Amino acid sequence: MAGKPPIGKPDLNRLRVRFGKDGRLAYLGHLEVINTIERSVRRAHLPFSVGNGFARRMRVQFSQALPVGAASCCEYYDLYLTERTDPDEALERLKHATPAALAPTEAAYVGGRLPALEAWLTRSSWEVRLLGDGGGFTADRLDEALNSLRAVGQIDFMRGDKPRSIGLDNTLVGWTACDGAAEGSWRSIDLSLKTRSSNLGALRPAVLLEAAFATEALEGAALDSLRVTRTVQCHEDEEGSLIDPFDERLLVAAP
Amino acid sequence: MRLPRQDRFAQIEPLLGKVLHPARYLDHEWGAQEAQDGPFHVCMIYADTYEVGQPNLGIAILYNELNATEGISCERAYLPWVDMSALMRERHIPLLSLETSSPVASFDIVGFTLAHEMVASNIVETLDLAGIAIRAEERDEDDAIVIAGGPSAWNCEPLSPMFDAVLLGDGEQEIVDVARCVRDARSEGLTRKQILDRLSHIDGVYVPSLYEVVVDETSTRWGYAQPLPGTGAPRVVYKRCIPDLGATEPVAQRMVPYMGIVQDRFAIEVLRGCARGCRFCQAGMTYRPVRERPASQIIEAVSEGLSFTGYDECSLSSLSTTDHSQCEQILSELHERTRDLGVRVSIPSQRLDSFGVDMASAVSGSRKSGLTFAPEAGTQRLRDVINKNVTDEDLERAARNAFEHGWRRMKLYFMMGLPTETDEDIVAIGDAAKRVLQIGREVCGRPRKGKGGVSVSISVAVFVPKCHTPFQWVGQLSRDEVRRRQQLLLQSANDRDIKVSYHDSDVSVIEGALSKMGRAGFEVVYRAWQLGCRFDAWTDQFRYDLWLEAGRAAGYDLEQVAAESFPIEAHLPWEHTSPGVSKGFLQREWRRAIDGVTTPDCTMTSCTGCGVCQTLGVSNVIAGDRHGR
Ligand code: SF4
Repeated sequence: MAGKPPIGKPDLNRLRVRFGKDGRLAYLGHLEVINTIERSVRRAHLPFSVGNGFARRMRVQFSQALPVGAASCCEYYDLYLTERTDPDEALERLKHATPAALAPTEAAYVGGRLPALEAWLTRSSWEVRLLGDGGGFTADRLDEALNSLRAVGQIDFMRGDKPRSIGLDNTLVGWTACDGAAEGSWRSIDLSLKTRSSNLGALRPAVLLEAAFATEALEGAALDSLRVTRTVQCHEDEEGSLIDPFDERLLVAAP
Repeated sequence: MRLPRQDRFAQIEPLLGKVLHPARYLDHEWGAQEAQDGPFHVCMIYADTYEVGQPNLGIAILYNELNATEGISCERAYLPWVDMSALMRERHIPLLSLETSSPVASFDIVGFTLAHEMVASNIVETLDLAGIAIRAEERDEDDAIVIAGGPSAWNCEPLSPMFDAVLLGDGEQEIVDVARCVRDARSEGLTRKQILDRLSHIDGVYVPSLYEVVVDETSTRWGYAQPLPGTGAPRVVYKRCIPDLGATEPVAQRMVPYMGIVQDRFAIEVLRGCARGCRFCQAGMTYRPVRERPASQIIEAVSEGLSFTGYDECSLSSLSTTDHSQCEQILSELHERTRDLGVRVSIPSQRLDSFGVDMASAVSGSRKSGLTFAPEAGTQRLRDVINKNVTDEDLERAARNAFEHGWRRMKLYFMMGLPTETDEDIVAIGDAAKRVLQIGREVCGRPRKGKGGVSVSISVAVFVPKCHTPFQWVGQLSRDEVRRRQQLLLQSANDRDIKVSYHDSDVSVIEGALSKMGRAGFEVVYRAWQLGCRFDAWTDQFRYDLWLEAGRAAGYDLEQVAAESFPIEAHLPWEHTSPGVSKGFLQREWRRAIDGVTTPDCTMTSCTGCGVCQTLGVSNVIAGDRHGR
């Protein structure tokens, strides 16, 4: 993913918004989320800026795509406004104009020259609940499986009918797994996962877990379904420190 | 069997990760009516996928009307795609509504939109997936009353065994009358039979079970329907017709889908009906008279609709939007209001004259991707037969005008198999395309290599004769002959900048057969579904072989059924359901067609005697002045 430059002209106001993706709307695809948010912005009657291009699109940039089916409490977009509406008022108006399960939770102006969100937000944390059965369906075995994958260092998988692969050295930052409470006839494992993305790609929890269940360590265990929630997205700088998208150093004061 | 009303989303949810486009099954769209208190519940169904059905304006109108009625709630349902329905069957989950995820079989009324003929097998599939008896006569006392209506209800006979009632014409008041009638009858404890009797007394409502099919020497092999003795059902059911469209709510579409749908924009119906009188066009006959909304109402409604929905595109929809007497004013005011918002206005089809080009230019801005015209036939002679009142000069002038305005791609729609068509007419289609291309090259020059040059694409549909048109007696061109003429056209349109595309002639045969058959045709539909036909409007799902097999099993050769012509005096299978256009008018139009005599548009001249206005007590409602053009 090449680092896209910010699309706004310097004289525009760059409003950063955090929103969630929850409940059944977790099943929306990235494009569907983008369309919905753009329409919410129009409904909120904010003074959004429109590009000069052929299609005259709204100037807005989103953070990295969340997989279909994954929920989140930390998705972001930068919306370029022609006037500096009070950020609290903008947030209120957006809340009223957005389906509840995609509701915005925070809004503030950030510097116009910051890099675009998509490539800048390199670190994600995930909470995953795995449901499944079989003798080997335990947190210990999952731990073992993930360690064996890390030793191999790469996962080969299919996206649609195209073969893909992703290296784990850089993308798989860490995890902890513990056995969870049973749900009906299913056993459960709770996994906390940290990943890193780069221009070589992002590691999706579902890809990792599918590969894990194909390892020897989880032989005899069957994975039925996953509930995935992204809980953190942030930037990791050269020194390895993590920066929140609403970090004070990024904000510009409201008028 | 009537199922209990309960939210069963929890059963669907685990399947969402396993199917294509889960957004089809989510509901909770902006503008959806989540509160569904009833206590009387209606479910409106478009028997295709969500993205195909959701843009349907008709359903949106009925949805709003019902939800606005005290004590009545309305939800939506669509037919799940094959991956989802397979999983649902495997897990014994019946078809659910969107808003409350209640079983469709728990509703009081279930209503289908008949958008086109090829939806037939999907209706059987929908009822089966819902767990509602497919044949109306097999339903239990307390089962949902299953109704249908829409543009393709005019020959509903081959589907009528599935429906308790069919609503003809404008549905906005009729649907409320029907819902109230069923509700009151239920609360009075009436039997199903008594409810149907009562429904048959509402204007515009046809109750198939109260009619018997008679085949005699005056009829075709499909016979005709007449009321059973003692039922009091009308001999002819006339459509309902809203006299003044301007008196109805203009903002119908309030729901904003998550997934990309077929027409993903705010649409407003600017006028209803078209009196141009094209003789092949069923909508032109069945939606008469013309009723325009006033410009001021349209402009306000577009502003309100865009503001409520957040759409960045709006479509002024109707059968012939550029015929609106205030079209120019509407477009310029909308342009003024939406200029800085990145909003696009679109009009569905262009009139074939310079006014049409001017209007297209007014909405296109700098985006001039392609312009579409529909001359429908290649020669003047044949255009006179079909009453398409445009000349070669109109086409040439419009094309020149469009190229001068900056368009580079022109799309021309034609039909093949029109009555009296000869090889000369087919060759003329290619010639017309070449002339348009030539004009484009004159205006724009001819670049040395490939890109940037002008191009013309022609799209040729097979003509399917439809009921209640002046061509309703005609047989459809055979499949072999269609193929021969397609080859002929390919040879005549021999320029690499002309692209020719066809509609599938196999689908047209089935559409033609379904348009012709009477009630006995249901046997074919049912067997086709049993053999596995579904989603016949999807090219990759359509199975011609299975349809033919179903026809044979029911005793019909469907190719022959489609090709059959009827005597002009015959009693036709659909004459008991009438849009108000008289048979005498259609016969006269047929004779004029054969003589190559055209009939003018009654909104531009004077009444040409189709009979709608007198029969239904309505008239053309023109907001401005159409003669002024
Ligand atoms: S009755 Fe006359 S005026 Fe009315 S729609 Fe028919 S032709 Fe036009």
